[in-house]
Amino acid sequence: MKLIFLPIILITGILAAPVRLHGQESTGNPFAQAKFVPDISLILDSSFVIRDLDDEWFTSLWLPGFSHAGTEDRAAELNETNVEKGFNLNYAELSLASVVDPYFDLFAVFHLSNEGFAIEEAYFTTRRLPAGLQVRGGKFLSQFGRVNGQHAHYWDFASAPLIQSAFFGGGGMGELGARLSWVAPLDVYLQLAVEVLQGDNGMSFGRGGFELPGVSVDDVQAPGLVIATAKSSFDAGNLTVLAGLSNASGRARLSPDLEDKNSTMAFAGTSKVFGADLTLKYLFDSVRYLSLQTEVMSRSTRGDRYDLDAVDGWLGREQRGRQAGMYTQVVARLTKRLRLGARLDLIWKNDVRCAGIRQDLPENLARYTAMGEWNPTEFSRLRLQYTFDRSRHAQVYGIWQREPVHELALQVNITIGAHGAHAF
Amino acid sequence: MNTRKLIVILAAFVLALPLLATKLQVVTTYPYIAGLVEHVGGERVTVHALAGGQWDPHTIMAKPSFIAKLRRADLLVINGAQLEIGWLPPLLSQANNPKVNVGSRGMMDLSRSVKLIDVPDSVSRAHGDIHPDGNPHYYLDPHNMLPLAEAIAAKLCELDGPGSTIYRKNLSDFQSKWKAKLAEWEKRLAGLKDALVIEYHKNYDYLLRRYGLRLLGTVELLPGIPPTSKHIQELEGKITESKVRFILQDIYNSDEASRHLAAKHGVPMIKLPHDVGAVREAEGVFSMFDEIVRRLTHE
Ligand SMILES: [Zn+2]
Repeated sequence: MKLIFLPIILITGILAAPVRLHGQESTGNPFAQAKFVPDISLILDSSFVIRDLDDEWFTSLWLPGFSHAGTEDRAAELNETNVEKGFNLNYAELSLASVVDPYFDLFAVFHLSNEGFAIEEAYFTTRRLPAGLQVRGGKFLSQFGRVNGQHAHYWDFASAPLIQSAFFGGGGMGELGARLSWVAPLDVYLQLAVEVLQGDNGMSFGRGGFELPGVSVDDVQAPGLVIATAKSSFDAGNLTVLAGLSNASGRARLSPDLEDKNSTMAFAGTSKVFGADLTLKYLFDSVRYLSLQTEVMSRSTRGDRYDLDAVDGWLGREQRGRQAGMYTQVVARLTKRLRLGARLDLIWKNDVRCAGIRQDLPENLARYTAMGEWNPTEFSRLRLQYTFDRSRHAQVYGIWQREPVHELALQVNITIGAHGAHAF
Repeated sequence: MNTRKLIVILAAFVLALPLLATKLQVVTTYPYIAGLVEHVGGERVTVHALAGGQWDPHTIMAKPSFIAKLRRADLLVINGAQLEIGWLPPLLSQANNPKVNVGSRGMMDLSRSVKLIDVPDSVSRAHGDIHPDGNPHYYLDPHNMLPLAEAIAAKLCELDGPGSTIYRKNLSDFQSKWKAKLAEWEKRLAGLKDALVIEYHKNYDYLLRRYGLRLLGTVELLPGIPPTSKHIQELEGKITESKVRFILQDIYNSDEASRHLAAKHGVPMIKLPHDVGAVREAEGVFSMFDEIVRRLTHE
């Protein structure tokens, strides 16, 4: 309960600070600090959702081969936003940024929601390293692929791509760690980076060992995850091409909740995710553009899987998984205020084998999304999004049954404070 | 084994690349700045402008290729006064180039060399996407080009001492040519003194002030916010009351409302370049102002 008040106190304190300090300055306070207040912004995201399934049933649906949360959290595991029917307060995001000194910059993004207060990002970057190098340290969103490094309000749709959520969860891969990046001194843009991360993602990676009757699995020694990325871009007239390759390789631990009857599976092993992304953006003039963006990702997992058998208790078997999916989206900005977009999500490979026997997991998990946006200014956005989701399944007597979901969401996203610049 | 060797050679080559470039590498945000740097820097510098003159300077698309340019820059010259706020900061932080970071010797803000007008007493976005430090379109007053060129010359001398004599010579050449031009433009625009004008965005205020033209209003409702029909009606009321000489329209905003006003009230709409490269004739800083004067005087 107290946690709820913390962000409120923090926001009011910080936002009031410049005003208060300014007042002091005018009365001649020789110690006034107003000019050192960092860039502050607050982004509010809320929505109204209409869905043809009731919340309880929707939340219990699985993305087969990917979901592992308990019945009550499965929808939230894949999406942090627009989970409930009716009104949602998705988040209020408070961000602070400033130069620290000649050597460092600091960024922090606090994610405030009804669930509480989360540090989405809090990291420093170096300012002075030679030879095109930069180090980032703290908690940050991995630059894996195209979408993972972006905050939700930069997304072109109200939801993250399906394969992104399936591999990294609704919050994406935000981890504690360090990152070294290098920009090549070339005419074309080429950036190479390595991230060494704690590896607590939860969907594809994990560190916590577990004890089951007759089974003992140790914790993974941190850091447990290494990510390498290469990104390159060039312009051809008014067309900009950006392409990237990413690889994440780490240890995986999935521990069961022994209190939960439905929690009947555990896993310990390794996980590798590979991604390739391509963005093409054509500018017609200062206002209108057409962009095509696509990402392909594949994951291979290897290790020991433990299933709770009603008769024999926990049984261990070797598991190997190969899963792959992609999305392609087209977004057009037609006027200063109007944007339209469509996205196709598809997970086409869902091959998981236990002791050499292929599990009966459905493939061709698809989702179709269309959106229209009205942006009165850069600081406010209304988005109407329709989603036809054919990826979610119910498990009925051990058999997967597809549950098509129709969803309409009206999303409002509002920013105050510092002028956020738009990255490409 | 061979791959390892290849990687070493490749890495050595890539790391040695900056050593090959002996000229001072200057990157500017807008083309008019590149034009000034070319005049002052001459042969000793290589100049590259990030934004094209055909785009809206407030909302330049932050292309990753700009990061590559910033990565190798010895000097970055910006317009400042928050005109680049919407696109430059993330590019700079990704360029990993300490030479041109904010606060470094190689980062130059031209707005420091001129006096800004319309600095708001209080700022609120209820007044649109306002420029909190004052009107940043100061470079459209041709008189401001002199202090800008001087500041650029001083910076080039600071970063490249051996070239000082050349930079000073280039500067004085530029100054004398520019002063001659100022006299010519002054004469040609004298007839426009006290003329009433409407402009789309407050792009040309410095120019209007310099030559004594008076601004009746803007076509856009508020900075960055397109006109409403009520706002257009109000403008039309003002137009019928007073004699408006022309409507100034930039090349990147929709000219629909301006054309409507022009057609309905018989007031000419003039499209003016806002930067070098905005129109075909504006090839450099000299020809940009020649073209502005030509279009204003219908010659
Ligand atoms: Zn402006």
